[in-house]
Amino acid sequence: MIEIKLVVNEKPYTLNVEPSERLIDALRNRLGLLGTKEGCGEGECGACTIIMDGKTVNSCLVLAAQANGSVLTTIEGVGNRRSPHPVQKAFVEVGAVQCGFCTPGMVLSAKNLLDKNSHPSETEIGIAMSGNLCRCTGYDKILRAVKIAAEEGKQ
Amino acid sequence: MKYFQPQSVDEALEIAHTSEATFLAGGTDLVLHMRTGKVQPLGLIDLGKISVLREIKEIEGSLEIGSMATFAELGKSELVFRKAHALWQACQTMGSPQIRNQATIGGNLGNCSPAADGLPALLALGAEVCLSTKAGNEILPLESLLSRTPLLEQGALIRGFHIPMNGQKSGFAKLGRRKALAIARLSVAVSVQLNGSRTDNVRVALGAVGRRAFLSEALGQELSGQELNNELLEKGVIEVQRIVREALGTRASAPYKRVAVAGVFREALTSIIPEGGQ
Repeated sequence: MIEIKLVVNEKPYTLNVEPSERLIDALRNRLGLLGTKEGCGEGECGACTIIMDGKTVNSCLVLAAQANGSVLTTIEGVGNRRSPHPVQKAFVEVGAVQCGFCTPGMVLSAKNLLDKNSHPSETEIGIAMSGNLCRCTGYDKILRAVKIAAEEGKQ
Repeated sequence: MKYFQPQSVDEALEIAHTSEATFLAGGTDLVLHMRTGKVQPLGLIDLGKISVLREIKEIEGSLEIGSMATFAELGKSELVFRKAHALWQACQTMGSPQIRNQATIGGNLGNCSPAADGLPALLALGAEVCLSTKAGNEILPLESLLSRTPLLEQGALIRGFHIPMNGQKSGFAKLGRRKALAIARLSVAVSVQLNGSRTDNVRVALGAVGRRAFLSEALGQELSGQELNNELLEKGVIEVQRIVREALGTRASAPYKRVAVAGVFREALTSIIPEGGQ
């Protein structure tokens, strides 16, 4: 076991993890943050997307130990029922959610884009969301929701 | 399994010398291979905390890229855009944003998948690899390293790459089943130095055609010392199709790839040949 220090959703943690333990497993099993979903487990689908030191990563392809010293944001750290993040609000308004399994990863990819670039073009939105797959709704509503969230941010 | 997180290259080399542990770069391949059991390391030496290995800079007419520079960092670098355009292009389409944020150029070489996106570009650009062991450093052309089996001896660290900045123009194109998250079915990188309107020192490299990416020296020579125009492009197309046919032999993908390479080769050259091609 090795000791790692993390800041997750603005709270500091010290954890003892196995060297081969993936970050997604540490988040779900040790911290009980079940909003991060495991889809394919091999970096294809983006359901396990989190923000690590200001960049989106697939938490199924990162070892917990690699994240030692990092600042992480999972879906639990983005908005809540009473005050949803603009991206979450737009997803609900547009109906960009069907089964919801891909949604946490989608929201984090969109949030990270808007944190860095408050006026993204359609191409920039397309690239930022290209690592997240949805097998229910198709992408029209999802991309529209991100565009709406970006426009809300401008006002 | 032991896990080491050294803070310096010397410390990493010392651990590698004494522990038989495996170097861990971004982990986007290795973490997966560990999970499927394809790789079972005795220990891991995580290079992620050694900041000097992430540097991308210009030193004495050469572009120096640290092995731990990520695809995202390379794909956003102005210097890489201007001086190593083929590599910059390869970095735009590799994997997905999440994978580009984590995956490194050194890891791309260490894992050495037949479809590795970074390698054809580095080969075409004439990159040299800097390897380090506790015994010392070795600098050699990438194509020489790629002819070795195994690729790296135990304890050898890929420290980085030197790319000559000799005014070469370069381009890269790949064929995948979709735009994002597609493993390359075929990739081509080309670099050309221009002497007036004549080509000089042409280098053509192919990926996903055989076991490892490779440089075709014969094709490079064939296309050097000539007027850069569409005629030369079409001559290259015929030759590159012959190379793919020879490299793939009777493999199931051969009939498809030897036709498809024509389009990929033309696309790789579009950023080099001026509009109109005259």
